[in-house]
Amino acid sequence: MNTLPVDLLLLSIATPLAVALVIALGVPVRAAKGLAAAAFAVPALIALFLWSRFSSETLHHTYAFYKVYETGLQGVGIKLALGLNGISLPLFVLAGIVGLAAGLYAIQSNAERLKTYLVLLLVMQGGLMGVFASVDIFFFYFFHELALIPTFIMVGIWGGRDRSYAAMKMTIYLTLGAMLSLIGLIAIYYKSRAGSFDLISLREELLANGLKAGVQKNIFGLLMFGFGILVSLWPFHTWAPLGYGAAPSSAAMLHAGVLKKFGLYGLIQIALPLLPLGAADWARPLAILAVVGNILVVGFITIAQRDLKQMVGYSSVMHMGYAFLGIAAMSAAGVGGVVLMMVAHGFSVALLFLLSTSVYHRTQTFDMTEMGGLAQKAPVLAAFFVAATMASIGLPGFANFWGEVTIFVAAWKFSPVLTALAVSGVIISAVYGLRSAARVFFGEQTEALAKVVAEKPVTDLTCCEKLPALILIAALFFIGFWPKSISTPLNSALEVIYPAPTVQLAADAAK
Amino acid sequence: MNHELLKAAAESNQWLAIFPELLLGSLALLLLALEIILPKKQHTTIPAVAIIGQIGVLLYQLLHFNSVFVGHDTFAGLLHHSANGQFMRAFFLLASILVCVLGTIALAKQKMPRIEFFHIVIVVSAAMMLLAQSNNFILLFVALETVTVGFYILVSYFRTSPLSLEAGLKYLIMGALSSGLLLFGIVLLYGVAGNSTLPGSSADAMNFNALHTFLAANSHNFLAAVGIVLVLSGVAFKIGAVPFQIWIPDVYQGAPTPVTAFLAVASKAAGFSLLLILTQSVFTPYEYLTTPVLGLMAAATILFGNLAALTQHNVKRLIGLSGVSHAGYLLIGVVAAASQPLAIGAIGFYLFAYLLASFAVFGVMTHVAGADDADQELEHYADLAKTHPFLGAVLAIGLGSLAGIPPLAGFMGKLLIFIAAFKAGLHGLLLVAIVGVVISIYYYFGWIKAAFFETWRAPLLEGETDPRPVRTPVGVAAGVTLATVALATVVLGFYQGAFGDWLLSLKF
Amino acid sequence: MIVGLNHYLVLSAVLFAIGFFGVLLRKNTLVIYMCLELMLVASTVALVAFSRYNNTMDGHVFVFFILTVAAAEVAVGLAIIVALFRRRQTIQVEELNALKN
Repeated sequence: MNTLPVDLLLLSIATPLAVALVIALGVPVRAAKGLAAAAFAVPALIALFLWSRFSSETLHHTYAFYKVYETGLQGVGIKLALGLNGISLPLFVLAGIVGLAAGLYAIQSNAERLKTYLVLLLVMQGGLMGVFASVDIFFFYFFHELALIPTFIMVGIWGGRDRSYAAMKMTIYLTLGAMLSLIGLIAIYYKSRAGSFDLISLREELLANGLKAGVQKNIFGLLMFGFGILVSLWPFHTWAPLGYGAAPSSAAMLHAGVLKKFGLYGLIQIALPLLPLGAADWARPLAILAVVGNILVVGFITIAQRDLKQMVGYSSVMHMGYAFLGIAAMSAAGVGGVVLMMVAHGFSVALLFLLSTSVYHRTQTFDMTEMGGLAQKAPVLAAFFVAATMASIGLPGFANFWGEVTIFVAAWKFSPVLTALAVSGVIISAVYGLRSAARVFFGEQTEALAKVVAEKPVTDLTCCEKLPALILIAALFFIGFWPKSISTPLNSALEVIYPAPTVQLAADAAK
Repeated sequence: MNHELLKAAAESNQWLAIFPELLLGSLALLLLALEIILPKKQHTTIPAVAIIGQIGVLLYQLLHFNSVFVGHDTFAGLLHHSANGQFMRAFFLLASILVCVLGTIALAKQKMPRIEFFHIVIVVSAAMMLLAQSNNFILLFVALETVTVGFYILVSYFRTSPLSLEAGLKYLIMGALSSGLLLFGIVLLYGVAGNSTLPGSSADAMNFNALHTFLAANSHNFLAAVGIVLVLSGVAFKIGAVPFQIWIPDVYQGAPTPVTAFLAVASKAAGFSLLLILTQSVFTPYEYLTTPVLGLMAAATILFGNLAALTQHNVKRLIGLSGVSHAGYLLIGVVAAASQPLAIGAIGFYLFAYLLASFAVFGVMTHVAGADDADQELEHYADLAKTHPFLGAVLAIGLGSLAGIPPLAGFMGKLLIFIAAFKAGLHGLLLVAIVGVVISIYYYFGWIKAAFFETWRAPLLEGETDPRPVRTPVGVAAGVTLATVALATVVLGFYQGAFGDWLLSLKF
Repeated sequence: MIVGLNHYLVLSAVLFAIGFFGVLLRKNTLVIYMCLELMLVASTVALVAFSRYNNTMDGHVFVFFILTVAAAEVAVGLAIIVALFRRRQTIQVEELNALKN
């Protein structure tokens, strides 16, 4: 139950939206910047505060800070129910912190039509906080869309080359994915006969009377492909590198870092626990698509990339493969690994997008073959970039390591062959990760770069650029060295949501 | 006098039941009278009288929403007052107010007599309000024809433009054809139901209640089935469902923009309220026939509307064809309503969201259009968001809502229809609807792209004139109207409050 | 031969069919317009016949309404046709194709 005097969850959603409205109504640019910075800071601070409070809260069906608001559609079982459990808490924190970093980076970017840009980014931030704070699966979907729409517009207006095409492709793919998952969610709502979209009542109803295996299979299929398209499951991933390549950096940070996790989160929080038999049917195809498609095929494509931002985009597609594998393992441990990995990947990919844009501002190109030797001029930038790359590869000491290791351990029980293939993917990511760092920062300066540098001397990261980068890297280290801060609440939630017998039953059926 | 006496007095005076319609009629006549009385200089105030007068009627209607007549028949069974009918009356009033607002802007660009436009719009609205409450085929036909004949005039209102006249002629032929089909269907039903050798026959076979009794007693009569199909075809013409949609793109393009809006929103809503009355209360014994017919129509309508809209460059044709697909989604609701009363509320919400979104878009179109009202191309929207951020934002909200993107009201409408369809087990239709929604994203997005992402190919060569029409500056009244419509679209997307509650509890 | 209800109905159906297909197939707007009126009149024939044989009055009354409506339609329709003819100098349907994308 919510024991706080003010509903901080609602506040964290409403603040960015309200400030977006205020800025849209017209304030001077300087004031808009200040307001926006405050509006990005509020959700982040709330997230951290709630994180610290979480362990001392009494839980209502695994949820803390639980509160329900009626919005007028209770007739069909739609209510705005907010709360955090062990699974959503880490992602809520992720959304808050990455949002803050992306916001600060946008404020200092001096983009054209900055106010509109900030308005859209704030709407996106409000939606993101809502996605992970929603207990009602309708509002979970609703907030996702709220965050998604600004992405399209930002890609279309402030995007790089091919922005029109990229925006169009993203819109169509993601709408298709969203529609499929919406139908899947309505199917769960209707078939469960709980008469409500509230996840708690759905869970109770389905625990008492599970659905027939055939029905579960169909619904899980819908959700898997629907959410899968949103998370860039191979072969529906082509929108991702294209979109991220074209997107302005803050939008790419928020989308790749946080919003994309919506699909995985939906699978973990909704699809897998509610439809264990359906998941058992689909586990093997999902794992094969993930390992062969996302990890190996996309991995090799990533190595071949010359464009820095596209490479980061492809690498994020590849890392989603590990997440899918962890879900296919269908065990509490695997899911725990996925959550850890989602958080870690969110921080590291956001950092990489931020740094690639900073690199671009210094080299005026994303083409890695035309860079080199940047480390001498910008050592801090180089250090950050190498650290982010290491984190993304999954070296020990970084959060990503814990996620991937847990996933591999869980997946080994499920399929040793696929796990072995997936582990070899780490080598692929080491190849492209280190190679890109080497190409950009070390070695000789290329002629093309020398020309650019002659016109505009390279400086190191400015203070305004450093702040968001520091926030992200601090978060990466914090979770890397103290994963228990996330895994303790996570495990307690997983124990309830994934009771051992059901999971075991389903896992056996999968074999 | 105590309350009971008052109630009895009110019930005995049935004219009060149609007081809003009477007020509208008087207002329409007042406008004509004012044109004669007032000196020429002051004629510009007449549109304001029309708008303010209608707002007054709307307030009256809202204040008397739960009038004593709801749930009763009046005028010897000619009218039946239902909660849904009350909602539709308010709906038509709102639509006609908005059309009048757009009309003042569009007419200012033409040298046209002004007053008749408002006069006819108001008369047509009153007829629609009666239509939504009709309980008798004679009243239904007369009200429907009043609407249709009014629209003939409105569509060809820009009589100096051959395009407007051509659209008027096409609408005339198609509208009269559909009226003919509808009428023949009515005649067949009347004839069969009056046949005293059949069980349940009635001397008052034009009355819906009597007809329903007859149909229930003879649920497999061939002539009655033919009559039902003909009546449904006639109504399908009005809502533009496939295969009766051929007139839509031409007429929408040629008609003056406010009239296009009126056709797209109010005329379609009138068709649907009629369809609901017929399928929910009169033709229920023939559900075995109506459900598959309407289901097939819905699927074909969604696919045709969306596919045909894909290739359009003229925004009026585009919005017309996209309107066809909206009729398809609504038809899914009508089919679902056969078993799920929830669908009625869903249709109501969808229509209301469609009204708000359409008028947002049409409002922007009216401002972007030049003197040639039929020539409104996608490329005219280039730079709109940069030069007119307000119009750009309203357009984006309107189109987003039409496309069914959360958090806008149009999404909630689609969601409710989908839930109802799911509960009714219409999985095939749902699949078609999903395909339709994804296709529709493409062309709605294309429009937003034109307004937001594309820059005009400036600078012009010497001697070349800018082919884009000059955009009308946004006036105060229009600005307030557009802002209200857009804001309502956003707010209704996440907070429906008592309105949603009321709609979902709506029964027929 | 006694003329019964069915004869009237067949007559009405034939007239309606002539009108319907005339609308779809003829090219001259005025002829189309006459066909439209024919459809309405066909309905009234059936209506009066039904009304007579069923011994109900509604049908007779409805005929008056239909005639009134048809008159209104003619007034508006002919006005549009005349106005269009003055602009375009033609009333052939195939030449009225200015509205194309």
